Amino acid sequence: MKKLFLVVFSLTLIINSFPAFESTYKPLESEKVLFINGNILDGEGNEFLNTDLFINDGKIVAIGQGISVDDEDVKIINAKNKWITPGIIDIHSHMGVYPAPSVRTSSDGNEATSPVTAEVWAEHSMWVQDPQYSLALKGGVTTFHVLPGSANLIGGRGVTVKNLQRNTIQSMKYPNAKHSLKMACGENPKRVYGNRGQAPSTRMGNFAGYRKAWIEAENYLDKLEAYDSKTDEDKMIESPPKRDLRLDTLSDVLKDEILVHIHCYRAEEMALMIDIAKEFNYKITAFHHGVEAYKIADLLADNGICGALWADWWGFKHEAYDMVQANIAIVDQARGGKGCAIVHSDDERGIQRLNQEAAKARAAGNKAGYDISKARAINWITSNPAKAAGIYSETGSLVVGKNADVVLWSGDPFSVYSLAEQVFIDGALAFNRNTGFGPVSDFDVGIVDPREDRVNE
Amino acid sequence: MNKVIFFFALSLISIHAYSQTTVISGGEIHTGLNEEPFVGDILIEGDTILEVSRNALKGDLIIDATNSIITPGVIAPDTQIGILEIGALSETRDGDSNMYSMGFSVYDAINPNSTLIPWNRSNGVTSAITLPDFNWDPLSGMASYFLLDGSLRVNGIPDIALTGEIGAISSGSRAESLILLKDLLEFASNLSEKDISSSMKISEAMESFEVAELMELQPRDVIALYNLLNKKLPLIINVNRASDILKLIDIKKLYGLNLILMSAQEAELVKNEIAKNSIPVIINPFDNIPDSFDELASSIRIAASLEEAGIKVMFSESRTHNYHLIRQGAGNAVANGMSYTGAIMALTSNVAKSFNIPDRGILQKGMKADIVIWEDDPLEPSTFPEKVFINGNDMDLTTRSSRLTKRYTDKRDLPNTYK
Repeated sequence: MKKLFLVVFSLTLIINSFPAFESTYKPLESEKVLFINGNILDGEGNEFLNTDLFINDGKIVAIGQGISVDDEDVKIINAKNKWITPGIIDIHSHMGVYPAPSVRTSSDGNEATSPVTAEVWAEHSMWVQDPQYSLALKGGVTTFHVLPGSANLIGGRGVTVKNLQRNTIQSMKYPNAKHSLKMACGENPKRVYGNRGQAPSTRMGNFAGYRKAWIEAENYLDKLEAYDSKTDEDKMIESPPKRDLRLDTLSDVLKDEILVHIHCYRAEEMALMIDIAKEFNYKITAFHHGVEAYKIADLLADNGICGALWADWWGFKHEAYDMVQANIAIVDQARGGKGCAIVHSDDERGIQRLNQEAAKARAAGNKAGYDISKARAINWITSNPAKAAGIYSETGSLVVGKNADVVLWSGDPFSVYSLAEQVFIDGALAFNRNTGFGPVSDFDVGIVDPREDRVNE
Repeated sequence: MNKVIFFFALSLISIHAYSQTTVISGGEIHTGLNEEPFVGDILIEGDTILEVSRNALKGDLIIDATNSIITPGVIAPDTQIGILEIGALSETRDGDSNMYSMGFSVYDAINPNSTLIPWNRSNGVTSAITLPDFNWDPLSGMASYFLLDGSLRVNGIPDIALTGEIGAISSGSRAESLILLKDLLEFASNLSEKDISSSMKISEAMESFEVAELMELQPRDVIALYNLLNKKLPLIINVNRASDILKLIDIKKLYGLNLILMSAQEAELVKNEIAKNSIPVIINPFDNIPDSFDELASSIRIAASLEEAGIKVMFSESRTHNYHLIRQGAGNAVANGMSYTGAIMALTSNVAKSFNIPDRGILQKGMKADIVIWEDDPLEPSTFPEKVFINGNDMDLTTRSSRLTKRYTDKRDLPNTYK
């Protein structure tokens, strides 16, 4: 009996430590590419005009003027009068979990059956044949983060994905990127559960719900740690605490292994959420939507929390009523430019033109009296979302040694007329507008005219 | 206090305004007609454009618009501006009727103090068509047109079009919707002026039409049906699938409908038929997502493709609060192949012409002076209007949003409530 127990026990340990659903991502074959005389926004706040960029082996090798590469295999792209930026990153997407066509049978973003569903993972809902990924790629999006919806106080784990559409989710997962935890303030959870006559039905009910969950997580973590601190001998005779998927996720947040992303519109709710994070000693990475983020921009900057925001959405609900178009700029410029602003989409149309959304936000900020350069504003859709997804050391800016996630734009990316001409992911061409090279999802194959792909623009 | 001063100032102006003329001088004028822009002057008196000229014009007040771009005010073709304040709060929405169908008018519900009005006006929209909710009925309520001038007595044209919807429904069949549409039109085509002369006559007419009772039609629904055919009211049908569009074209031909297609995401597949029958189309130029099985052929090319076929295109935007973003949509249409002039027409004159609004949408002698002076290219979403005129009035461009921006960029160490 005892032996049997030991076997089971050691198996449990193995399962526990085995990274579940690990990324099997492999880039396409990378190219040696020398972009000549492009205008570069590097995602680090710099604008380099008429400058060269060399990528090789999937990495950024050099940025500067007059780069010469003595190699017959190098592909030279004349980028004169064109612009080059890091690959665009969207920190808030529901592609895959709310795919197109939007039908009940694939509407898999909200496990709206309990206010705390920390045990669910967005990647288990993602449909890899969603035709929306390739549309986003044509807008320069190389990486996106998929979150569960906002019906629940705690909705589950989000996942960071490379925009290289393939037939398993593991093969699209960004290697070694941390998960996020999706939480939600305000109207949505209290409406969903209040309508069923269950908690939460008020904002105060929401807050009680978060704290209750974190108290459970603390207890769980205490038990795990108490067990871990036992001697090997004791571990042989004592069984480990029963594994709980829900508390696994929450305790991973307390261990700083998962990034907290919170859907929250109102200023006072964001301020309260910051206090809960202090009470339970975890860090909030970003507030999402934050239509009122401008009202507490300094508080966000002081706490190192990003605002992942829209340029101008408003009015669809009461908590989204106080919109100002300068929201992103005000968050960015808080405490003398210490703020972290992100333009997010939460929308399969918006994700195709995050550059235009950044252009609007910048224009509104400058109209409000700031002096924000394009080189600064491009961070809102490149390096800042990379930081919020925990992948900034690898991508999000054009820095030597980083992954060659690169967009070549037909013109100034802050103009409505500019289109992404070529998109590289890990140094490999993923989309070329001029040749029509790009991914076609299985969904798109022959679905309108059997001889053609759905989108052949 | 501010209001008093403003009112006082306004009344001073109005004393002089009796014969005062204004010249918008030296801007790049896009008339909204199918012609190249030119640098010139626009002379306004009262609410009317007296002259548009390549030559310098004289007037009492000169507005220097050098280096600016001038267009007609944007006309928004399918909004809910004025009848919706907060999407998720049904008590702030007035787009639905439990009692009436075709005869439902939203005009009386329009709230001139809605925050959506100054917001869209400050972004260049000067007038809008507001539609009742769609309920998947082949024919539903009437759309109204009004000026975004904030006048408490709404300036507009009530009931300028009927609405309806054909396509995928989760229970039932689109075939039923199409049959119902035909039955209703057949009933309407048999109505005489005498039939609608009194409630009693209408009741008699309805007795001959069983469907009327099943649908619980009211007398004013029948009158709306009569007007649809006899006054040639535009009929906006929200539809996407190419084969549905062809069916609607057949029905249009049979009953002489003044049909306008809306959404029409598969219009590209049947563009020649649409063009041949001179049917205007309202499209969302952003919408290249195959959101349903009715719109699998949706594409970012749609605007350019329909324009090339010779179809009169208008633009819509799915979020009514930011309806002004149709100009960003127009910019995207141009980026994907549409002509610039065509995009400006889509925002202005095409709407006026399609909905029989005779005196707006074009910068031309005799037209009402709905004019926007833009600091730069209006199809760039980062461009803002410098001035917006509605009926010749230089409108105030303050919004709740601009007030809140000012409050929260005010660096004084005071509570927000004291700024």
